[in-house]
Amino acid sequence: MAKTAQEKLDAKREKEYKKKHKKIYRTTPGDVVFNILNYLFFTLFSISCIFPFYYLFINTISDNDLVKKGQINFIPRGLNIDNYLKLKDVGDLGNAFIVSVTRTILGTILMVVASAFVGYLVTKQEMWKRSFWYRFLVITMYFNAGLIPTYLNLVTLGLTNNYWVYIIPGIVQPYNIILVKTYIESIPAELEESAFIDGASYMQVFRKLIFPLSKPILATIAIFGAVGHWNSFQDSLIYMQGNSKLFTLQHRLYIYLNQASNLGNIMSQSGGGSVDSAVADALNTKVIKYTVSMVSVIPILCVYPFLQRYFEEGIMLGAVKG
Amino acid sequence: MNEYGDKRGVGGVMYAIQRVATLLLIVAAFFPAFNPARVCTMISDNISLFTTGISYSRLTSEFARAFRMNWVSQGAFVVVYIAALVLLLGLIALAVGGCMSVGNMKMQKTGLLVSLGGSVAEIIGLVLCFVGYNQILSTTMESKLENIGPKLPSGLYIYAVLIAIVIIFTLIVLATFPKFDTNTKYEMESRYKLFLMFLPFVALAFVFCYLPLFGWRYAFFDYKSGGTLGSDNFVGFKWFAYLFQNSATRKDMILVMRNTLIMSGLNICTSWIPMIFAIFLCEMNNLHFRRFVQTCTTIPNFISWVLVYALALAIFASDGFINTFLKAIGSLSADATGDNYLMGNSFTWVKMWLWGTWKGVGWSAIIYIAGISGIDRSLYEAATVDGAGRFQKMWHITLPGLLPTFFVLLLMAIAGCLSNGLDQYLVFQNAQNKSSIRVLDLWVYELGIGSGSIPLSTVIGMFKSVISVVLLFGANAVSKALRGESIV
Repeated sequence: MAKTAQEKLDAKREKEYKKKHKKIYRTTPGDVVFNILNYLFFTLFSISCIFPFYYLFINTISDNDLVKKGQINFIPRGLNIDNYLKLKDVGDLGNAFIVSVTRTILGTILMVVASAFVGYLVTKQEMWKRSFWYRFLVITMYFNAGLIPTYLNLVTLGLTNNYWVYIIPGIVQPYNIILVKTYIESIPAELEESAFIDGASYMQVFRKLIFPLSKPILATIAIFGAVGHWNSFQDSLIYMQGNSKLFTLQHRLYIYLNQASNLGNIMSQSGGGSVDSAVADALNTKVIKYTVSMVSVIPILCVYPFLQRYFEEGIMLGAVKG
Repeated sequence: MNEYGDKRGVGGVMYAIQRVATLLLIVAAFFPAFNPARVCTMISDNISLFTTGISYSRLTSEFARAFRMNWVSQGAFVVVYIAALVLLLGLIALAVGGCMSVGNMKMQKTGLLVSLGGSVAEIIGLVLCFVGYNQILSTTMESKLENIGPKLPSGLYIYAVLIAIVIIFTLIVLATFPKFDTNTKYEMESRYKLFLMFLPFVALAFVFCYLPLFGWRYAFFDYKSGGTLGSDNFVGFKWFAYLFQNSATRKDMILVMRNTLIMSGLNICTSWIPMIFAIFLCEMNNLHFRRFVQTCTTIPNFISWVLVYALALAIFASDGFINTFLKAIGSLSADATGDNYLMGNSFTWVKMWLWGTWKGVGWSAIIYIAGISGIDRSLYEAATVDGAGRFQKMWHITLPGLLPTFFVLLLMAIAGCLSNGLDQYLVFQNAQNKSSIRVLDLWVYELGIGSGSIPLSTVIGMFKSVISVVLLFGANAVSKALRGESIV
């Protein structure tokens, strides 16, 4: 979050104030030690959070021979992007990527629209048995039939080994509905009333008024939803046992990570046998694992710093509700 | 009588019966037991009418061999598939008709006609089912009659009865329908209009959240994947008793509960760490550095556990960073095989806790950082003027300001102590640490999906769900008693 003008002004005033009352605000040696330790701790912790990503990255863009010898620790050498280009030969990875991307987009859009619409509907006091139906939805947050009954339910619905299991069960999210409802309730009711007086229908009010006005909250839930979809691994693991074409990227990565043998083997098995052995040899397992990991983390690393504000607003909304 | 018609009285009762029958027809479409299109026993008994109607491949999933060997003609199954499709379309018409029945009189009347049309479609669908049945019967090879097992399913009769009810009562209501001004527009009271817009989402919640509860019945049967539930394998509370009486399972359970509670306990005992993290972070005056730290430390929260594992391998595996670095600086000879720090069973609980903390602490701190910025600055000014030091201010101002938030989060953590989640333990488990990493969620997964003990894992899941709900409401009661605020 950028510093606002107000914050800057406050900081300036504080500085002047402190200058005037130097005696009270003087820095003691203890403070200096504390500050050094504090900055040191947070610097180290930040590095521990960032370094693994950096390490993976430099190993994927360096010369593979050097990587094999373990000579890439801090500085990349022999820069090239061949590893990323070679990924297209790794069987099933393309499929997994498409599945993950499409489910993230489709699932997020449907979830956001549904949350917005339901959130709007439940603010309407005149709905038939409103509070009962609202509770009917919200109470599902607190209980859970368990892994196996849920799985068997999806089996009987024919949703296992089916792409739609990624999308449909995630459409109704009670928690997001509560967030949207709370937000819509904070919009002045007069706006809506005047629209109704002008003869607008519920759908028109929702489309032209409520939906645009609640964009901030929708952006927040969209981002959380998208991250959830992108990271999802469990549903692919449990519901796609019979259809490996629909594995998500995370699931593929999990399989690759656990593969002890050279990934060249996987490539020639599943990639249609078009990979010649020279290519397979050149790909060493470690680098391919790193590269696939990078591919699945890059979207988040690229998006996160720009959208951090929405993430933080999201957790605060939850707190207000909690 | 107003323009919406009189829904009480005799006509109202008829109407109600017609609606209930319609609803039952629609709900039955999602239960495999009532599938009218399952005209031979070889069709999987796991598919409902809904599944049959949307997927021909699911209908014939068991028949690859039968078709190849020409045991039965494929055409018959196309007929059955079309029958299911027609039945589904009829159900949609019935649903629309049912929805229209809450409109004004003109809408009601049209709705009744739509219902009638839907019922006709249903009859056609059932007749087609019957035709399909006869075709299967006539085209099946004599020797394979037992394998294919053509029979009329009970769902067919149930559907026939329900449709008869719908038709009869629709006709009665239509016959007694009062005269009304046909020049009125189609209208509906807004309370029903809103409800009908809401209905699809209620249906989704019902199908994906309430319907699984019906799956708890598996706990009372000797069920094997792909088998059936019937009186012959009903075993009552056998699996509940098994959990405690079978010594191997009991031992497993104790081990699993120990792991679950220790790992949750570690998290609960250290749940103050994000708060301290936030307080110390806010002690740094350089705002840019603070933003930088926050960005770095929250990123791990947004990557999946699989990726955490990938990073862990990159750093700690035998060819990972630690070992190559040790080789580079010479404290490990160049041709030695490094240790894989992720294997082994030493300090598994602490390691898991460390990974969880590394991933989550920055993110959990945000809520406290916001709390700190919400504390009145003048309190700090006053304390400074009174000569309070840095730590005194933390202790007497910041900490009390954050305690309510901390308390709520602590209660939530206690309420969720049985749900450690599956992903983390699944990705980090290996042959050596199995005994200390297996938590409840992982155990349920391994039992149910891995080794196919569906009833037993359902029983465990039931216990877990019930205890979790009780804990949640207990925590809520505690919060209400102590703070006068509820947390759920």
